[in-house]
Amino acid sequence: MRVLTVDDSRTILAMLHHTLSNAGFEVLQAEDGQKGLDVLKNESVDVVITDINMPVMDGIEFIKHVRSSGLYNSLPILILTTETSQDKRDQGRAAGGTGWIVKPFDPEKLISVIHRVVH
Amino acid sequence: MEALAFKDDISGSGAAAAANSLQLIAFSIGEQTYGVEITTVREIRAWNGATPLPNTREFVRGVINLRGTIVPIFDLRARFGEGQTSPTKNHVVVVMSVGEKWVGILVDAVSDILTVSKDEIHNVPEGNSVDTELLNGIVTHDSRMVGLIDLHAVVSGAKVDA
Amino acid sequence: MSDLDDFKATYFDECSELLNELEEQFATIEAGDHSSNRLNAVFRAIHSIKGGGGAFGFADLVGFAHAYETLLDHVRDGRVELSEHVIALCIRANDIVADFVNAAKEGVALEPGFGADEKAQFDALTSGNDPDLAGAPMDEFDIDFVPVMVHLQGTDDEDDAMPAAAVADPLVDSFEAPPMAKESGRWLIRFAPHSELYARANDPLLLFRELASLGQVEIRAILDEIPALADFEPFGVYCVWEITLVSSTVTEAAIAEVFEFVDGNCDLTIGPAEATPQVAEASIMPSLTELADLAAPSQPARLEEPEDGTNVLSFADLAETLKPALKVAPPRLPPPLKSIAPVEDHDGEGSGRAGAEDRRNGVQSIRVDLDKIDRVVNMVGELVITQSMLTQQMDETLRAHYQELVRGLEVLAQTTRGLQDSVMAIRAQPVKTVFSRMPRLVRELASKTGKKIRLETIGENTEIDKTIIEQLSDPLTHMIRNSADHGIEQPERRTAAGKSEAGVIRLSAEQAGGNILIAVEDDGGGINRERVLQVARDRGVVGPEQMLTDEQIDQLIFAPGFSTAAEVSDISGRGVGMDVVLSNIKKIGGSVHVKSWTGKGTRMTLRLPLTLAVLDVMLVKVAGSPYVIPLSSIVETIQCARANFSRMPTGGQVLQVRGEYVQVVDLAQRFAMDTDVDRDSRFVVLCEAEGGVKVALVVDDIIGQQQVVIKSLEENFQSIEGIAGGTILGDGNVALIVDVQGLKSASNARNKAA
Repeated sequence: MRVLTVDDSRTILAMLHHTLSNAGFEVLQAEDGQKGLDVLKNESVDVVITDINMPVMDGIEFIKHVRSSGLYNSLPILILTTETSQDKRDQGRAAGGTGWIVKPFDPEKLISVIHRVVH
Repeated sequence: MEALAFKDDISGSGAAAAANSLQLIAFSIGEQTYGVEITTVREIRAWNGATPLPNTREFVRGVINLRGTIVPIFDLRARFGEGQTSPTKNHVVVVMSVGEKWVGILVDAVSDILTVSKDEIHNVPEGNSVDTELLNGIVTHDSRMVGLIDLHAVVSGAKVDA
Repeated sequence: MSDLDDFKATYFDECSELLNELEEQFATIEAGDHSSNRLNAVFRAIHSIKGGGGAFGFADLVGFAHAYETLLDHVRDGRVELSEHVIALCIRANDIVADFVNAAKEGVALEPGFGADEKAQFDALTSGNDPDLAGAPMDEFDIDFVPVMVHLQGTDDEDDAMPAAAVADPLVDSFEAPPMAKESGRWLIRFAPHSELYARANDPLLLFRELASLGQVEIRAILDEIPALADFEPFGVYCVWEITLVSSTVTEAAIAEVFEFVDGNCDLTIGPAEATPQVAEASIMPSLTELADLAAPSQPARLEEPEDGTNVLSFADLAETLKPALKVAPPRLPPPLKSIAPVEDHDGEGSGRAGAEDRRNGVQSIRVDLDKIDRVVNMVGELVITQSMLTQQMDETLRAHYQELVRGLEVLAQTTRGLQDSVMAIRAQPVKTVFSRMPRLVRELASKTGKKIRLETIGENTEIDKTIIEQLSDPLTHMIRNSADHGIEQPERRTAAGKSEAGVIRLSAEQAGGNILIAVEDDGGGINRERVLQVARDRGVVGPEQMLTDEQIDQLIFAPGFSTAAEVSDISGRGVGMDVVLSNIKKIGGSVHVKSWTGKGTRMTLRLPLTLAVLDVMLVKVAGSPYVIPLSSIVETIQCARANFSRMPTGGQVLQVRGEYVQVVDLAQRFAMDTDVDRDSRFVVLCEAEGGVKVALVVDDIIGQQQVVIKSLEENFQSIEGIAGGTILGDGNVALIVDVQGLKSASNARNKAA
């Protein structure tokens, strides 16, 4: 199963990579929404995990683009967020986010959330 | 049994045939035979000159280019205090690793690969100060006396004291 | 645990980049650019530092960063005005964040209450604007940032396959509230998805699967709403589900959590169910079988056709069937590129792809281990040498006979040079990375000395080899300290001298030919030459009789052993003077020059090579052995027959060049080697060591100029006095690199000892 992780923090990308690849996922990475879109153009993935606050193209814009293309309506997108205020999360969902993961994430919880949205 | 021997080998004892033996590369300086453990030897090449290093002791023959790395060459004869070798194309440089470093030893010729038992290694008798300083032990093979070179000792004290 | 250390290393790396970025952004913000791009970048940087810090449980850092982030958020959306006061507070906060990061990195504790003042100010600024939220973010935040350590063993394999088990496990989710279901533990869930649910790629099947992990499940599809075919919308949602969940332990909260992600995108009611299982309509059968077939294609046989049209399908069975298939990707599902979920939407514009296309031309980059690049640099170096060796082999006869070969070699030479330049460019980095550390230093120095100092930076995008950049930090720190301590005057003295109250230190970088010039200039009082000369005489750096020009006096501040008393206390009490700058810069093949104007200021210039990997040299011969002398230090060469030598009363030899007496070092003698070359046919290579001091090296012959790749002698041997390293010539032989500065200082020491 392939996961695209989108985050501008190398630390978070590295930790996601570690956790996910240990759980048997193939992990693709992108540093911002724009790069995430570029990856999606060339690669087929089963689920996307994206940060919200990113340079160039933030997570909300990224999700909007993914959904509006019409090609990825069934692609689950999980929002990775430290926001506690809930409004970012809601914005992310309104844009088409499938679910969310709160940073800092617990590896087991991360995997179980992914299985909640992916076959 | 084979597996055991192999295990022993990779654990660093250097024995291929039996757990308690040692393989040596033997080389000669005049009449004398010396040996180093085969696992330390990286390469054997013919003498092809070296660039002399200033302000070093006479047993440092200089440096050579070993595939892009600069490696110092030690004249073993000179190191044993018997004067510098006058090297020809027939002389041989044995390149080996000492810790992290690679060094070359200039010898007259490489003579053999020997397998000796660790039990046969004797301490160097007290008395000859150069031998005790530079040898780890001695071993007899086919009635020849082979001195086991202590590489760390050989390469030390290379610079002229200021 | 080394994985965790790796993550930490990545994190601290990232932090130092982000802190640099903060420094840069605020320099621009301070200069008046308050655009939202800048503020967003600043917010993101702090946000990332906080996010990573949370993962490692750096509570102090996270606490401070959170308060700071909250302020930045308020500034970003205009709730707090970005006044000068706030900017100053932010800049201070950046330094504090840097200290927190550093403390976390070193594993040391900062004094309790460190940064508390600033944090209180953030809270005051943010709560003042929004009384409702006062304190609220922190409360919430405390819950959210309970440090969760990374679990490095990897997840349990069994649990991977059945991830929802965690939710079902009563030990994991032990909610305080008692189950609200009737004695039987039977729940009825009515679930009516909206189209948004599908638009967001949620899937009822997955929800059912998760429910099935909580207990025994019966699912009925209610198809009453399906319209006549004429009215049927292809992407419409007409199906409602009723689920009966039987479990003695499950709570309403646990059930609600399953539907967490679809909250608001469906009608959901959860309540206790009647004991009698309901009977659903027969019409659902085809769709359910299809569903099961889709989900578990590998084991379709397990689902038995229910008898006599009973329309109850046990989802526990289905879940059981699914288990083994979960770990692998579902084979029958089309790739996610194509839509399989019924979705109505397309939010209007289909411009998404075009927009993405447009934005595609941003700079793409990858991170590469420096070791790997160094290996390439090294190999390219070898290639350059091999190429030049081949070219040397081409004599006239060969040239005449093999024109194709000659042309090929010319192309090879060009390509090699291009390759070399490209590889060097990979190692190049803007000096910005080191310049950006200086504003903080200047702020600290200003507050410590009570002076007003403004730092200006110019040319920070100038690129230079990464290794050189790493070596620049210490020298620049020393030079700027020196300017702040000794250059810039106290405000009242400046005013009295008719200058502006605030002094300026200008840090600039520019490329000049094959060198990079980095200058530290100040508009202070200039070097106090009388005092410098006095100190130098007192310390024996300069003989009592020796007369020096102004320029020579200025250079004295770099002399070893010259360090004024003030500096001993200033610079970390270590008594390190500017001679450290000199030796550090010398190590990376550069030189230092100082120029001072009394009452107007001082300029110190570092001249650095563009790269450390390749050196332009003059190849010479001494006692039959090849040596190379860096071209950058050579002033001129003179044939010995024409050179004007004289003997000093002490016996030493000097060379007279344009009225100047220059110390002579005969390399053959110096290197204790015999040479039988006729004296007059030998050459003098006049070199300039640091500080403009000249030395005349006598060599047997001059062969020519070339580029060489520097090799370490220490890698396999040890350092040798007077030799800076080795290099491999076109013929494969090793040549030694003459250390001009080393020879100069060593002979000074000898002369003194004599």
